[in-house]
Amino acid sequence: MYLQPKNECAEYARLSRRGFLGASAAGAAALCSPRLAFSNSRGSGSARPTVIGLFLRGAMDGLSVVVPYGDSDLYVHRPTLAVPPPGAASGALDLDGFFGLNPNAAALMPAYQAGTLGFVHACGSTDPSRSHFSAMQSMETGTPDHPGSGEVSGWLARHLQSVAPSGSGVLRAISVDELLPRVLALAPSSLPIPEPADFLFPGAAVSAAARRDALEGAYAATIPPLAPAAVSSLEAIDLLGGVDFAGYVPANGAVYGADPFSQAMRSIAVLIKAGIGLEVAHYDYGGWDHHSAQGPIQGTLAGMLASLSEGLAALRLDMQGRESEYVLYAKSEFGRRAAENGSAGTDHGSGGMMMVMGKGVVGGQVHGSWPTLQAAALDEGDLAVTTDYRDVLAEILTNAVGGTDLSYVFSGHAPTPLGVVL
Amino acid sequence: MTPSAQQSFTSTSLPGSIAVAPSPSSDVLALVRRGTFGFSVPEFERASAMGFHACRAEQLAPASIDDSALDGLLASYSSLSMDVPTLVATFPQSGGGDAFVAGELRSARVLRARHSKRQLLERMVEFWTDHFNIDGNSGPLRYLKTVDDREVVRAHALGRFRDLLGASARSGAMLYYLDNYTNVVGAPNENYARELMELHTLGVSGGYTEMDVQEVARCFTGWTLRLGGASAGEFFFRASDHDTGPKSVLGQPIPAGGGTTDGETVLDLLATHPSTAAHLASKLCTYFLFYNAPRSAVDRVAARFLQTGGDLAATMEEVLCRESFRGLPIESTYKLKRPLHLVISALRATDATTSQPMGLIEELRKLGHVPFAWGAPNGYPDALGAWGSNLLPRWSYASDLLDGQVSGTRVSSASLNALLGGVPPAMVAETLDARLFGGTLAAVDRAELQAFVSGVPVWNGAAAREAIALALSLPSFQFV
Repeated sequence: MYLQPKNECAEYARLSRRGFLGASAAGAAALCSPRLAFSNSRGSGSARPTVIGLFLRGAMDGLSVVVPYGDSDLYVHRPTLAVPPPGAASGALDLDGFFGLNPNAAALMPAYQAGTLGFVHACGSTDPSRSHFSAMQSMETGTPDHPGSGEVSGWLARHLQSVAPSGSGVLRAISVDELLPRVLALAPSSLPIPEPADFLFPGAAVSAAARRDALEGAYAATIPPLAPAAVSSLEAIDLLGGVDFAGYVPANGAVYGADPFSQAMRSIAVLIKAGIGLEVAHYDYGGWDHHSAQGPIQGTLAGMLASLSEGLAALRLDMQGRESEYVLYAKSEFGRRAAENGSAGTDHGSGGMMMVMGKGVVGGQVHGSWPTLQAAALDEGDLAVTTDYRDVLAEILTNAVGGTDLSYVFSGHAPTPLGVVL
Repeated sequence: MTPSAQQSFTSTSLPGSIAVAPSPSSDVLALVRRGTFGFSVPEFERASAMGFHACRAEQLAPASIDDSALDGLLASYSSLSMDVPTLVATFPQSGGGDAFVAGELRSARVLRARHSKRQLLERMVEFWTDHFNIDGNSGPLRYLKTVDDREVVRAHALGRFRDLLGASARSGAMLYYLDNYTNVVGAPNENYARELMELHTLGVSGGYTEMDVQEVARCFTGWTLRLGGASAGEFFFRASDHDTGPKSVLGQPIPAGGGTTDGETVLDLLATHPSTAAHLASKLCTYFLFYNAPRSAVDRVAARFLQTGGDLAATMEEVLCRESFRGLPIESTYKLKRPLHLVISALRATDATTSQPMGLIEELRKLGHVPFAWGAPNGYPDALGAWGSNLLPRWSYASDLLDGQVSGTRVSSASLNALLGGVPPAMVAETLDARLFGGTLAAVDRAELQAFVSGVPVWNGAAAREAIALALSLPSFQFV
């Protein structure tokens, strides 16, 4: 056999499901008139934690990560794919007597047990679309009740627009990527920076000032997002140039892997500790769309889950004792169908699983109301959504970050208190 | 006059003549800018000599264009013409051969965009590569994508949409990438069925339901590919895996007992559906004209698509017509070049020479636009917001290109002389406007460029390279 089917691939595809992003020129013009005008003085919220946003693009299978082993229907829907209950071979690691953690995510257990990390299950969006791209769009713009509304700005962008900078305001948000995700569309002072340690102005030093002047002048006259991005880029060159990435030693013996996700987490930790006023750091972790050969115990999902967990575990350990300085969430555009398909995979579903870690997080728990996997409780064959993802994010912004204007960030949505982030 | 202003950098070769800047409102200029990977003086002069209609007609019939110079450049890329068994035998995975094959395809993509005389074809190839996106970087797709690129995308890029769609549906790479090779009766896999309607044809608002997704998946049960043997990588229909029951797609009944006809019926339905015409017209107008192309242009293109039964050359004739160009709003000058377009357009404008494209691929990596490397089935975005904030790598690329820091690629002294040899410092911005921008350099950009040149202490070749790099870094060069 020349070509290996997916379950025999030597390595898993680390697909980049980076989200598309489409601020129109007209919509982008809104950036020129931010919601609030600020002075350059230091804001009052200098103690605000950095929000670390992870988008697990492609729809991670929450049922294989935080496994509802106590719901016997799981094993009816997934005779070959379900992670076995605790105690069985390759069984889940018990979390609370009902849910168990996929053994490939074992690296997360210390964070869970320490109460730094929590899960919210059956969590997702009110947008019924099973299209990755529609669901991502409405989730990132924060308009799942009006998916075709044409909203251009991202909800994280609106959050930044609604609060004063917590630092100098030079670089308020970054995506560790070449592209800016839609969730940061129209965010002030925000840049995609794939390698923060390598953000240097090119060319000969002797002419750099003159060339920078020319670019500054020219870009001031063009359209957003280029115009503000040029200003931010030129300022960020100096700001990041003062950060010692190469000499950074993670705290508490934390070790970051060489994979892109772990390296991104390392860069984010460096930036948080450098105290440069970074308010949001975003990372797109793609490749969770496992229609065939899902491999939750051994295989594709298992490998990706291990990578995700080890990166998060390194960050948690590196930031131990500094939990007030960050609050992290990880989510997908939706979950996957309750029943496995004929390809040892799962098709697009609805309710998913969200992770939260850091400041204010009520960890060591699996939050949310479990709708059960009984046939009658399913939403067109999918795990129902009992927690709106916006309610989790609202608690992050209100309780852990503070000062945000939720009526602007999630316009038209009245958040339900959850007690996930206090 | 300062000493610096009196100096002009001189060259051993003859200075090129200063091209007269074309009128920015010229239709030929619009055709060159929007139908190629970037303006260059020779391309524009040739198009001008031919005239608008002849030039467009030639580009719409790429087989009529002699591209032997490019063929010569690609002659050593032996993997491009191989079938899958030969690829696997010649470049075995155990020796990293699959990565080599994927690397040759990436390199060829860059060389074709840069050197092909069939520029419109190459732009169409870029468009369809995203439209029928396949991640060519993982597993067997490193082999399969080479065949898909040759026999699906390149073969039909300016042909008939139904042929393109049909070839894609039977492409080993697509069958693998979107899992249809595992789609069998009783246990359907919806991945291809959904993206076929959402991305390839109708569009997400094109009027299909979740039930249609499931029914289309049933229609394509049994469509798979050979995993080994002399036909490895090729489509085949395994009748025993096909769901022979009756189906209904978009309200049309598909009777029981069908075989591959079920899938072909679906493709027929989708290829000629008005939603498909509207979806493709909107994407083509966005890609070639502007993000918010006038509704009238989109409607006109969609109508032509339907009238001609999905003739892509005719459809493109409608996209690239005077009515389209003249109907564009003033802000349509802000159609951002995606990174591949930026990289290639800089090479074309400066007449850079590339002996080995790997350095350019590395630049594309920093810019986030490596060919065939987008993971999700929607293809690289074509949106201002996605790309418009990542400026530093654009500036670094321009600087590296002129500094000789892009491995395998140089702007030679001769090319430098052709751009600025003998040009007095006071005329640098004006000259570069004509030679790099076709006269479309924005006034602010031009003033900044000239101010930089006027401030240079010693005007010499190194300074000229800096001036060109700066020109390529200005906002005007970032837009189509």
